[in-house]
Amino acid sequence: MTWMKTRMTLSWRRLVMSLLAVTGMMMWLAVPRTVWASVDDAHSFAMEAAVPFVEQGFIVREDYWNGEVKSGQKLMVKHQLFKGNEYAFWLATGVEVKSMELKVYDDKGKAIEMDTQEGDLWVTVRVNPPRTGTYTVVFSFESSDKSEPGVTWALAYGYR
Amino acid sequence: MLKHANPFLNTTFLAALWLFAAGGMQGVGAQGTSEGVQEFDPLAFPGQVVDDVVVPVPSEVFSVLDKLGEPNWRQEIREMNTPQTSDRTRLTLLFGEAVAEGFVAVQAEDKEAVKDAGREVNNLATALGLSRSVLPHANAILEAADHNDWRSIRKELDLTQKTVRDTMEQMRDADLAQLVSLGGWLRGTASVTSVVGKAFSADRAELLNQPMLVEHFLTVIGGMPSATKKHELVKETQKGLKVILREMEAAVDGFSEESVKTINSECEGLLKRLNSNS
Repeated sequence: MTWMKTRMTLSWRRLVMSLLAVTGMMMWLAVPRTVWASVDDAHSFAMEAAVPFVEQGFIVREDYWNGEVKSGQKLMVKHQLFKGNEYAFWLATGVEVKSMELKVYDDKGKAIEMDTQEGDLWVTVRVNPPRTGTYTVVFSFESSDKSEPGVTWALAYGYR
Repeated sequence: MLKHANPFLNTTFLAALWLFAAGGMQGVGAQGTSEGVQEFDPLAFPGQVVDDVVVPVPSEVFSVLDKLGEPNWRQEIREMNTPQTSDRTRLTLLFGEAVAEGFVAVQAEDKEAVKDAGREVNNLATALGLSRSVLPHANAILEAADHNDWRSIRKELDLTQKTVRDTMEQMRDADLAQLVSLGGWLRGTASVTSVVGKAFSADRAELLNQPMLVEHFLTVIGGMPSATKKHELVKETQKGLKVILREMEAAVDGFSEESVKTINSECEGLLKRLNSNS
């Protein structure tokens, strides 16, 4: 009887553990795509967007900003620009989004972007700063899937 | 025994699998929680501020000076006599200075000076215990110098300082990592003020309008542990940066020759102190 009981206990334990494992794996697979897309992916896409600019003589900076943001929420970065240089900002996401916005403002709050281009996963602006000083880069994303918890992003820049 | 062993192993395996799955979910899921996602605060118009500051490399300013005239960059190159020290605060600032020296040498298109800077960068990285990360970049700098590939050298110098900062942030030196940028900024600004001082014009002097960067460095110092803040070199740097910030904030209608001299003098003084043996 003791042997039978042990055997039943073990079988029951195996069944429970198997169910837990299967449930765990299913939940693992059900994790939204966003969390799989890292900020590294976003930076890779930003660098892809930068390729034609590099061919035009832009020098890409190795430092960049990155993170994760909720759809529709605006982010801003303050950055030093020098009059006489032309700058390009490359903003990219690791996931597909419905739309994205990227603007550069001077210290008076006036948008100064010169030329904007958009791809599926990136947007770029070219800027000729009218003065040397601090500028504000404002950007946001509208996610295609509202259930997605966040949008991974990277913002890089270059100059010539 | 074997029959008993198998279910046990099987159960352990399944339990481990479940824990792995659950743990993995938690780890990945954390990115998706509201804690991991940057929240927009509607009160802080026009959006959430990303606090990270990307400090421009010296060549961003140098390139404008080139467009405004033909500075003699060779005159700005300095022989580096880095003091022997094991003080990591000093070494980090010196590292930033050496990278900036490389940018000056590239601007002058002086192959030997670039190589000297590359070697100095490597020596300082070794002293910081980071030679493994930096050696490939230092070698790339030396190789590119042989081919007069100035573009690649600029890229490698930028990459070198990023690598060192990132590595320091991952190690016990996270508090010091930003001093790499500060050391570079001091050397770069010393060169810029020297060039502007030699052929003063409002356009050239306007390049010194960088109060946000100085405020950033002061914030970095302000956030350091008290032991680091009490470091003589850090205290002097903080004092010098405050003088520089005052000059920048006072230049509402542009920089005067006098203010350019003051900024130059502060930067040179701090670099002299950095390179002294005491």
